[in-house]
Amino acid sequence: MSNNINHQSTLQDSNSSIKPQKKKKVLVAMSGGVDSSVAAALLVEQGYEVVGATMQVWDYSSCEITEGNGTCCSSLDVDDARSVADRLDIPFYVLNCEAKFKASVIDPFIQAYLNGQTPLPCVNCNTYLKFDHLVKKMKELECDYLATGHYAQIIQNEENGSYQIKTSEDDWKDQTYFLFTIDPAIVPHLLFPVGHLKKPEVRKIAEEKNLVVAKKKDSTGICFVGERGYDTFLKENVSQEILNSKKGLLKRYPSGEVMASHEGIHLYTIGQSKGLGMTYHEKLFVLKIDPLTNTVWVGDEKYLFYDEVDVVEPHLITQFNDNEPIQVKIRYQHKGSEASLTKTEFGYKLKFKEPQRAITPGQAAVFYSQDKVLLGGGWIKI
Amino acid sequence: MSKSSVYLDYNATTPLSDTVFEQLPQLLSLWGNPSSIHLASRGPKQILREARRKLADYLKCSPLEIIFNSGASEGNNTVLKSVWSYYRPQNIYGNSVKNEFLISSVEHPSVLKAAQFLESEGAVVKLIPINRAGELDLEFIKNNISEKTALVSVMYANNEVGVVFPISQIARWAQEKGALVHCDAVQALGKTHFNIQELPVDYLTLSAHKFYSLKGLGVLYVRKNSPYVNLVHGGGQERARRGGTENILGLAAFDVMLNQLSLVTEKEQHVEQLRNYFEQKVKHKISKVYINCEKTKRLANTSSLIIEGVDGETLLVSLDLKGFAVSTGAACSSGNPEPSPVLLALGLTKAEAQNSLRVSLGWATSQEEIDLFIEELVSTVERLRALEAEEKIKGQSSSDAFAFSQKGFSL
Repeated sequence: MSNNINHQSTLQDSNSSIKPQKKKKVLVAMSGGVDSSVAAALLVEQGYEVVGATMQVWDYSSCEITEGNGTCCSSLDVDDARSVADRLDIPFYVLNCEAKFKASVIDPFIQAYLNGQTPLPCVNCNTYLKFDHLVKKMKELECDYLATGHYAQIIQNEENGSYQIKTSEDDWKDQTYFLFTIDPAIVPHLLFPVGHLKKPEVRKIAEEKNLVVAKKKDSTGICFVGERGYDTFLKENVSQEILNSKKGLLKRYPSGEVMASHEGIHLYTIGQSKGLGMTYHEKLFVLKIDPLTNTVWVGDEKYLFYDEVDVVEPHLITQFNDNEPIQVKIRYQHKGSEASLTKTEFGYKLKFKEPQRAITPGQAAVFYSQDKVLLGGGWIKI
Repeated sequence: MSKSSVYLDYNATTPLSDTVFEQLPQLLSLWGNPSSIHLASRGPKQILREARRKLADYLKCSPLEIIFNSGASEGNNTVLKSVWSYYRPQNIYGNSVKNEFLISSVEHPSVLKAAQFLESEGAVVKLIPINRAGELDLEFIKNNISEKTALVSVMYANNEVGVVFPISQIARWAQEKGALVHCDAVQALGKTHFNIQELPVDYLTLSAHKFYSLKGLGVLYVRKNSPYVNLVHGGGQERARRGGTENILGLAAFDVMLNQLSLVTEKEQHVEQLRNYFEQKVKHKISKVYINCEKTKRLANTSSLIIEGVDGETLLVSLDLKGFAVSTGAACSSGNPEPSPVLLALGLTKAEAQNSLRVSLGWATSQEEIDLFIEELVSTVERLRALEAEEKIKGQSSSDAFAFSQKGFSL
């Protein structure tokens, strides 16, 4: 009885006689999007032994799926990732991370909003899943590297040989903002195959290689929230009782005048001026959210500007000197602003050269050197 | 060195036998519609007749009691829905005369989900509990078969852990109370001998793809005069019991295997010897391994193991990358690998179920393959456990730790 079954495992094929050393093995995180698909394709081209994997983070059987739109890890996306893996002739696995994702990403996300903060779930996903759980898998599956489709670059410092993360060539798509929690020990094991390219080039490569995802829209927003908006998400995942307990008053700063009542602090974010739930002849902005009293402070735009902020739970990938001028980004796609950093008991105090608008608790302050090396970062607390 | 794969997932499906594979080109010439009058239908008609006769001879039943269909899922659905449909008028006008279905808690989803559906239509479904040793609660069965029981459905052997259930005993209790009996024998065909005289059931389901032939062909045995309502109405095929142009290619491939039924006992012994050897070696070479239902009567080819300290999913992926095909619980199509409901029904914790591996051997399994697999399994388990220990020391371990659940099961 024949037992030779044709399957996807990458084998030492006849090419191995040309390359005498054993191929380096890479685990590629594939979301079904263009970037990670091209990342996998480039690695195959470069001669690595590639294993593709997708993280199943959310049960999508209950969600509406729209064709053509990336929602990150919906089952259509998994099919896309698998289809790319098939075309590249690499093995592909779906790794179940639902419980971990819920505990490290979704639950803290919900908690942050209920505490009047604006969370950054993508950082938690990177911290606990992509660059923790998948690093573990990389070791377990005897891979030398972990690769993702992130717009970021790995460089080796000329002076001390240490591996560092640098911003990508594509300034607009750069995703290093979300990578500040990566353990420096694993940086030598990371590959970002598309980080040196601009997005249009990446799409072009996908088309040239005939990948089904070449024309797929980029995923926007939060993968597990999708199109429905985070307030709908919260309604679906938090009891009405708890949401009701977040109701309170909109007060004018600095007078303390009560302007209106609001439906919940989780519906507001710093800097917001639309959809406040009240009308006024002047344009007012959300300045501060107090979770202890459920008060949302609104006021004139000028009060949105601060030049100082406390950053807690800092994490550094690359050390920097005390006097070094640091560029700090306080949100994704922020241009970055120069600041000086002083160590505090819980992290750092940042003093910006110029006042910054709408510094938001729950977001991250990410530090860069003058030549765009990702130094690290921490969480904003005002 | 070229890596050849070692396939040890015969309970999920089987490769085509060499004989079937060799004969395929000829079988492909049987493309005619058996319902036609002309020459093209002759070969197909012959296959239908011959396959039916052979199977009836083997099962010791009448050819009129054999229905060919698309598979066991269809067969299982047909049985449950037929019986429900048959008793519906009585249930509506006679105040729920026979509306109960007694089903084992470890049936295949095609039985469990069909039963769930009937529940939504008003049926009462009772699930027979099973203990850690894989024994069905026989007292429960006896106490829950009554005049209200329309159907008792228990599989011959469980696909996950391999335990074989006392079908003839259960069938007799059912008959005493006037209940119908269905046996899903999908995992039995080709693995062990059985026939309708030994298993006095009213319905029996079989599947070709578990027996070295093609997918898309199943058999439903329906005892003469048993309630039967078509799932598929149509062109009169299978004496108007199952509409649809017959899957002649599937049936022809199956027919090839029917010629080999005499080999079943010999193969069963061969496979049992290898399986026992495998389990003995594994227990010897790997610490903290537990074999599910080891002391209960099992199919000769199945081995379900809990390997402590190793995530089943990672083990499966590692083994696949090295060319070894095994499984952890039921295969899933949604991409959401839930721990096997069968293992949970047996009383394993979620963690234990997640650390489980199922190895199922087949007619082609060789000593060499088992030795290669044992070697790979041992080294992979050692490597993964060492990594886990490293992570724990670093304080970064994020996997679930568990201790063997030793609660009340018989060894």
